[in-house]
Amino acid sequence: MAPLPGRGLAKGLAVTLRTMTRRSVTAQYPDVQPELPPRSRGVIGLLEENCTVCMLCARECPDWCIYIDSHKETLPAADPGARARTRNVLDRFAIDFSLCMYCGICIEVCPFDALFWSPEFEYAETDIHELTHERDRLREWMWTVPAPPALDPAAEEPKEVAAARKTADKQAAAAAAAREAAAAPAAVSPSPDSAEEQQDS
Amino acid sequence: MRETTVGIGSGAENVTELGTSDMVLNIGPQHPSTHGVLRLKLVLDGERIVSAEPVVGYMHRGAEKLFEARDYRQIVMLANRHDWLSAFSNELGVVLAVERMLGMEVPERAVWLRTLLAELNRVLNHLMFLGSYPLELGGITPVFYAFEGRETLQHVLEEASGGRMHYMFNRVGGLKEDLPAGWTGRVRAAVAQVRAQMGRIDDLVLGNEIFRGRTAGVGVLAPELVHAYGVSGPIARASGVDFDLRRDEPYLAYGELGDVLRVAVREEGDCLARFECLLEQTHVSLDLADACLDRIAGLAPGPVNLRLPKVLKAPEGHTYAWTENPLGVNGYYLVSRGDKTPWRLKLRSASYNNIQALTELLPGTLVADMVAILGSMFFVVGDIDK
Amino acid sequence: MDVTPVRTSGTSGTSGGHSAGHGHGHGAPAGGPVPLGIPDPARPGAAVEQRRLGPLARLAPDPVKVVLNWGRRYSLWCFNFGLACCAIEFIAASMAKHDFIRMGVIPFAPGPRQADLMIVSGTVTDKMAPAVKRLYEQMPEPKYVISFGACSNSGGPYWDSYAVTKGVDQIIPVDVYVPGCPPRPEALLQGILKLQEKIAGESLAERYADGPDAAPAAPRVPDAALRRPLVGGPGSGPAAGASGAPRSGADR
Repeated sequence: MAPLPGRGLAKGLAVTLRTMTRRSVTAQYPDVQPELPPRSRGVIGLLEENCTVCMLCARECPDWCIYIDSHKETLPAADPGARARTRNVLDRFAIDFSLCMYCGICIEVCPFDALFWSPEFEYAETDIHELTHERDRLREWMWTVPAPPALDPAAEEPKEVAAARKTADKQAAAAAAAREAAAAPAAVSPSPDSAEEQQDS
Repeated sequence: MRETTVGIGSGAENVTELGTSDMVLNIGPQHPSTHGVLRLKLVLDGERIVSAEPVVGYMHRGAEKLFEARDYRQIVMLANRHDWLSAFSNELGVVLAVERMLGMEVPERAVWLRTLLAELNRVLNHLMFLGSYPLELGGITPVFYAFEGRETLQHVLEEASGGRMHYMFNRVGGLKEDLPAGWTGRVRAAVAQVRAQMGRIDDLVLGNEIFRGRTAGVGVLAPELVHAYGVSGPIARASGVDFDLRRDEPYLAYGELGDVLRVAVREEGDCLARFECLLEQTHVSLDLADACLDRIAGLAPGPVNLRLPKVLKAPEGHTYAWTENPLGVNGYYLVSRGDKTPWRLKLRSASYNNIQALTELLPGTLVADMVAILGSMFFVVGDIDK
Repeated sequence: MDVTPVRTSGTSGTSGGHSAGHGHGHGAPAGGPVPLGIPDPARPGAAVEQRRLGPLARLAPDPVKVVLNWGRRYSLWCFNFGLACCAIEFIAASMAKHDFIRMGVIPFAPGPRQADLMIVSGTVTDKMAPAVKRLYEQMPEPKYVISFGACSNSGGPYWDSYAVTKGVDQIIPVDVYVPGCPPRPEALLQGILKLQEKIAGESLAERYADGPDAAPAAPRVPDAALRRPLVGGPGSGPAAGASGAPRSGADR
């Protein structure tokens, strides 16, 4: 018996119809978020409280895509004799992500840790002006910043840890000296607990 | 090459209407058979190419001029973008030049890590071409395997540097930061995985009769032409010019890797030899990466970068640093007048010299072979035009 | 004698914004088919690039338009204008791991004439710009453009270069901008999803209508800007400049 004409087509379409109703088993991007390493350079988050408007990031940016506006504010003097102090107030902090080249220099130069990388990447826009993220949007990204990865055991200690350890060692030495001093005469010793706390942290 | 002579009657060659005239054919700048925006102006006599002229400049972005307005850290960021397939090697050349000007000694750990990352980057670059070259010849499968390997390696590189293509991990005086914990183990696994997959490209492409038929004996590049045009890298070595900076003028830690570093050389100089060189080099690079990992495991803990002055100024003078990039010799001529920006930073890019040989290589071949020859020249258009 | 003014005032009374259209010489009746492809003195580029809609797309009732949009959004034959680094990430997005064919983006368009979507990935240089515009004009309507990466968004790292076009939207209208340098493949997938959302919600009649809100976001550049006369070398002296000046004047 000769096969019916169009049998193959019908068979193919039947497969299509059958699979159309099933859920897909692929676990890929739009259904599942990719697992990105914490160092991944996706978007920059701003922690505004840390920003002192030193303009280092805006100056060091290789294509100058950070816009900062600020003004000076005079704080009234605390006591009548003291001078009035001025401080910088951030008016605008914006990063133009249509220009940004994701090099991370701004984050590297920031002396007060106000900028952070976040691996988020979902911010394609239909209007190019919306790619300039103003400070509120940059702040939103801040909440997606992951903790940095632990360093390789052979790595040099990060300078923050090294500095903390130095202080702790100094305090421990001071406490030990005080204890020795306390052992001889009955003097008041500074509490050694504070040094230990430092070490723990 | 098979030639068919079609009889068109006696004396036809003298009759203008029947005699053929040359045809000028533009390939590119946007053409599926070229990767990137290289334009070729061919003069054809029937199917045969009479003369060929690569028209460059469609990707000229003036990077050298932009270098002059940026300080050394900012340059690193721009330098990795001209040859986008070997970003790490490009960063390396710039920082090596600046470090030499400053007389800087980079920590040992940084040197070995740089070597490792440069070799991983070389594998990434070669995988791209190992996949795209068969694609240009009509085989669509290998590129999927090649990109599987690329994704594996890109993932570990992203974990360390944060970027998939433009790592921005080099700094003057070392690397940006140290590795995350456990990274070396994951690199070792990734290298092993890529090595296990390499066999598929060996079998699928190199053992393929059609592939061999289209590449063997096609586009033979003579060693004299290699010297005349300054061709370098795997293309030069496929023509028997045994020159590899990693061995002949070792930089980074290559001097200590002499027992692992085999330089792939072929004598034939045809498209097949160029492909074989690239493939063998990929295997060698994977071995080198493993050797680097072994050494890094045995190194004493230490820093990966030097502390730099707040304003980094190269002293007045000039220097020339060259590195064996995946595609050939890249040179960086740095002239400084003591400012924080270079007065001039000239790039000698491998692809630019390599494709110039096309003017000699293409005439006399058939149009169908043009694709095979062009693909086997392994160029990146950004590296040509800068 | 006085019938005509009464009717005119009646028309302008019912639809206020209409009198401006009459001033240009091609009034569109309210609610009727939108005039398309008619040279408009206000838009110099429009005559060169005729944007036409078939009667089906124009007159179809809304449910049919929904179906048409659904068809459009899931069969985007895409033409990759791969120029630089981003093209590699584009290829990565089309490969087995990310595979945008599962979203209906088909990267096998034989050429621009068979494509619906152009993805400009990479630096557009001034030398390349005429080719980009020309290939875009060869694409059939409706056509969409994704600008992939910083370079095609705004020139990116090369924004201050003498040879680079500061964003592809200077020469062609762009629908979706994907940020990144280069953006990761998932970012392209998100850009595609964004474009599909846009296609689903759009009405072609509005897209091609002449109006302040329907016009593409990008400012139109006259074609003459892309065909500047050659700049004479230093040796050619003032003669080249003198011959160049009136020609550009005539173009304008």
